[in-house]
Amino acid sequence: MIDSTAFVRPKYVGKPIRRLEDPRLLTGQGRYTADIQLPRTAHLAFIRSNQAYARINGINLDEAKTLNGVIGVFTASDFTHIPDIKAVSNMENYQVTSCPVLARDVVRYVGEPVVAIAAISRYVAEDAAALIEIDYDTLDVAVTARDALAKNAPKLHDKLASNIILERNFATGNAPVEIANAPHKVSGRFSLTRKTSVSTEPRAYLADYDVGKDELILYDSTNIPGIVRDEIGHLLNLNGNQIRVIAPDVGGSFGGKGSLYPEEIIVADLSRRLERPIKYVADRLEELTASSQAFGEEVEATLAFDADGQFIALDAEIIGDIGAYSIYPWTAALEPVQVASFLPGPYKTPVYRGRVRGVCTPKPPTGPYRGVGRPMAVFVMERLVDLAATKLNLSKVEIRRRNLVRAEDFPHRSSSGIVWDQSGFQECLETAEKAVSKLNLENRKKKSNKWIGVGYACYAELTGIGSRISVAPGMPMNTGTETASISIDATGAVTAKFGIASHGQSLETTLAQIVGEELGIKPEDVRIIQGDTAFSLHGTGTYASRSAVLGGGAAIKTSRALLIKVKQVAATLFNVDPEQVETGDGLIFVHNTNHAINFKELAQAVYSDMKTLPMEKRETLAAQESFDPFLGTTSSSAHVAVVEIDPETLVIKLQDFIVAEDCGKLINPLVVDGQVHGGVAQGVGVALLEELKFDDMGQPITATLADYLIPTSAEMPPMQVHHLETQLPPNPGGFRGMGEGGTIGAPAAIANAVADAVSHLGLCIDSLPITPNKLHALIAAKSKH
Amino acid sequence: MKPAAFEYLRPKTLADALAALDHEDAKIIAGGQSLLPMMNFRLVQPERLVDINQIEQLNQIEKTDTGIRIGALVRHAEAARSSLLAEHFPIIAKAMVHVAHVAIRNRGTVAGSMCHADPSAEWPLLVTLLDGEIEILGNSGTRSAKPFEFFLAPLVTEIEETEILTAIHLPLIANPCRMAFDEIAQRAGDFAAVAVGTLVCVEGNIFSEIRLCLGGVFDTPVRAFAFENALIGQPASVESIEAALPLVLKDLEPNDDIHASAAYRLSLVSALARRVLFDTIDEMM
Repeated sequence: MIDSTAFVRPKYVGKPIRRLEDPRLLTGQGRYTADIQLPRTAHLAFIRSNQAYARINGINLDEAKTLNGVIGVFTASDFTHIPDIKAVSNMENYQVTSCPVLARDVVRYVGEPVVAIAAISRYVAEDAAALIEIDYDTLDVAVTARDALAKNAPKLHDKLASNIILERNFATGNAPVEIANAPHKVSGRFSLTRKTSVSTEPRAYLADYDVGKDELILYDSTNIPGIVRDEIGHLLNLNGNQIRVIAPDVGGSFGGKGSLYPEEIIVADLSRRLERPIKYVADRLEELTASSQAFGEEVEATLAFDADGQFIALDAEIIGDIGAYSIYPWTAALEPVQVASFLPGPYKTPVYRGRVRGVCTPKPPTGPYRGVGRPMAVFVMERLVDLAATKLNLSKVEIRRRNLVRAEDFPHRSSSGIVWDQSGFQECLETAEKAVSKLNLENRKKKSNKWIGVGYACYAELTGIGSRISVAPGMPMNTGTETASISIDATGAVTAKFGIASHGQSLETTLAQIVGEELGIKPEDVRIIQGDTAFSLHGTGTYASRSAVLGGGAAIKTSRALLIKVKQVAATLFNVDPEQVETGDGLIFVHNTNHAINFKELAQAVYSDMKTLPMEKRETLAAQESFDPFLGTTSSSAHVAVVEIDPETLVIKLQDFIVAEDCGKLINPLVVDGQVHGGVAQGVGVALLEELKFDDMGQPITATLADYLIPTSAEMPPMQVHHLETQLPPNPGGFRGMGEGGTIGAPAAIANAVADAVSHLGLCIDSLPITPNKLHALIAAKSKH
Repeated sequence: MKPAAFEYLRPKTLADALAALDHEDAKIIAGGQSLLPMMNFRLVQPERLVDINQIEQLNQIEKTDTGIRIGALVRHAEAARSSLLAEHFPIIAKAMVHVAHVAIRNRGTVAGSMCHADPSAEWPLLVTLLDGEIEILGNSGTRSAKPFEFFLAPLVTEIEETEILTAIHLPLIANPCRMAFDEIAQRAGDFAAVAVGTLVCVEGNIFSEIRLCLGGVFDTPVRAFAFENALIGQPASVESIEAALPLVLKDLEPNDDIHASAAYRLSLVSALARRVLFDTIDEMM
């Protein structure tokens, strides 16, 4: 008998349950796209443009075609049946770019694919590549966004009106007038250099076409399998039931695997044409030169404020160096427009003017990158806030406290139009401040002969965005819905299927915790299926900090619908009212009775045993529900960085890092900590190390990991993460998204800390990454004046 | 990033290795930590790789009449752990922690680093500082070269393609002395922007011998002779070091690269030179 006074239904949500993925992924049992070996596979290598902007005069394929082991050599003329990739937008002042799957007539960035070679191995394909000559005529081009903006700049796309492919204006009140009349103002010109994602696993695609069934399976290292299926289906003229995109284990994306790439279209097409599996695995050189890139922005901004430090108005001119093409499906507006919309941040800034322009340059397309737009927005705003504090001789915490939206102000519509709701803006700052006071920094400063600096950054982000707004400004695609299908099969086992695509977010664990808790079974007994379009009608994937909110919300709704069926069936079996039936820890029971069965017995009664239940009571134990949060949830955080700079060598060392964050109800604190740690590490890269550089001709000069520096464990400081659950949002579960936040706050906090450490030198820290070498140059320039 | 096709031989003796090298475009592979990335980029495309890892007599660290002999196949990690080296050249273990990362130190070899001749690398600097000799085996027998003869330019040495670097000899230092090493790289384990090693002997409170060697500032490791000469015979003090220190920069014209400008490198040379020199006299006083 289950005694109701003694039985406590186990809780799984909120518990630091160890990741269910770990035994597989940590012991080398993960199965990534490159691990999948199919017989008769042909391997692809691409010849990529070595010119930033040039006309293709001719390509000599003769020698390569006859090389032993070469299966086929392809150029743009072999893909005339595939329409160009076009990212359309609802935005006014937006020009669509046409991106052929292989460069046709002209190349527009170093790294653009020009020739595809299929061979019996990647080695042979590369041998063949070495035999191919491409004759280019270099064309005049403006390499930097500033040059490309100029009226007489050569156009990268002949058919477009100019290189400026998007422009959007934000205006609340009259910012120029308010600024002119304000008692105080601070300004700066800030820049964030280009970055790229650097996943451990490079992009990889394997297409397997079944001639008999006329069906294509595409194994794809992507975080948007649903979008890839829908668009490749469109481009190759296949119905959705003829193409199945499977994202197997995916070793990171950080945004880099979140767009549609020419290579995956070519892999899919060639598998059908050659009637054999086709595999392409990018190498590190290709990852660093031909996967989507990030940032590349310059912002000139002014913040006006009164004598108390209360913000009056903000004005910003934003230029985004968007690269050669507007990326599918997000468009080039994704990154720079979000800089403009998130610039006012979590502060009450009543008046705002922002103009953003996206400019085509001969560089790889920019695309999503963890944090999208907000790392730059927060960097600019938080630097301005610190400059304002310095000007008024106000503490860095106090000026933020005075301007952050308060609990009683929610919902607060920011001057860029974003609605912030119920999130611990003030509470995060307060918690961070307390943690800083325990570091005893004054004492540390006294004892040290190094320059020690402290930097704060506060931010808010919209996460789990619903169908009301697109995650990418102007993108005509619904990213605000997720569907869960949960079933109990004939053995009593629970399987939950989603359209999301985990690539490091631990969703197999967190969704199992949610389903387990709702149904009353152990998380490890729930099988989560995701990243496979065969199991979802519509699903766009995992990005934009959406999967916990949308996937988790759908999991709760669907579990509850299924639980009703479970209880109805059990009620019939027990001959009680369904409301008396409880579940927990794998049992279905009625308190204080002997009525108790497990899920296996329930399934047997429903599916197999034809005697126990009358036919009309044999419910199919499955449910499917969708969830759409319509608007979204507000996550917020305060970051603090403590840096130490060696005055002799200018080496910058992060000593401490503090994060106080409010992501609503924590599903699993271990997972949240992991996401914060990883996000901050990426932010450390943004702030101190990572920089894609191009020379005057548009040649990338950071094409290896010896040149493009990513943070390692040695660069990471001790980190404190403080979780706040202030008022929970009204969505099912009360979850908010938090996968990107670490990368959003860290760059600004570190920049402010470096600026604080060198404040006695009067240096402007207005460009990231800031490195010892750049500090040296800044100091040298200052001493010249 | 796949290498072009090559022939692969794995001789068991030095004689067989020499015979295998008697072939156009043959290249020795030991740890492969520099060669393989270059082959994957197809920057080098040897027709034949001669793997010397099976040749047993090359992996010893041994004491000789005049010094320590480090075999060509000794790995960075083995050198860092060697008690013999720790006894006579403690600077080596100090420098080894800066050589890339554990996995690379376990595979990469001393001789490989010498032959790769990266101007920022630790071994070329150490062998130059310690006035070592490079033992080279060719068809006409064994010869030896001094570092200033051996290193010609970045990634270029005078060793012939048909020869094998078999060992490094480090002569023992007669007088009691101190050594120190430091380097600055943007991340732990990266190639140094600047690396500095020093060896200081003091007799009767006078600097009787000073060596200061710099990496990352020229085509090859360089000794700061002007500085050394100015300091020898001076009282062993912070003041004498400070007085002579500007001479370290004499005639130095480092290159700019994307991680460190020439001016920044020069500032690092001064800072690190001071640091390592003070380290040595701190220990003595």
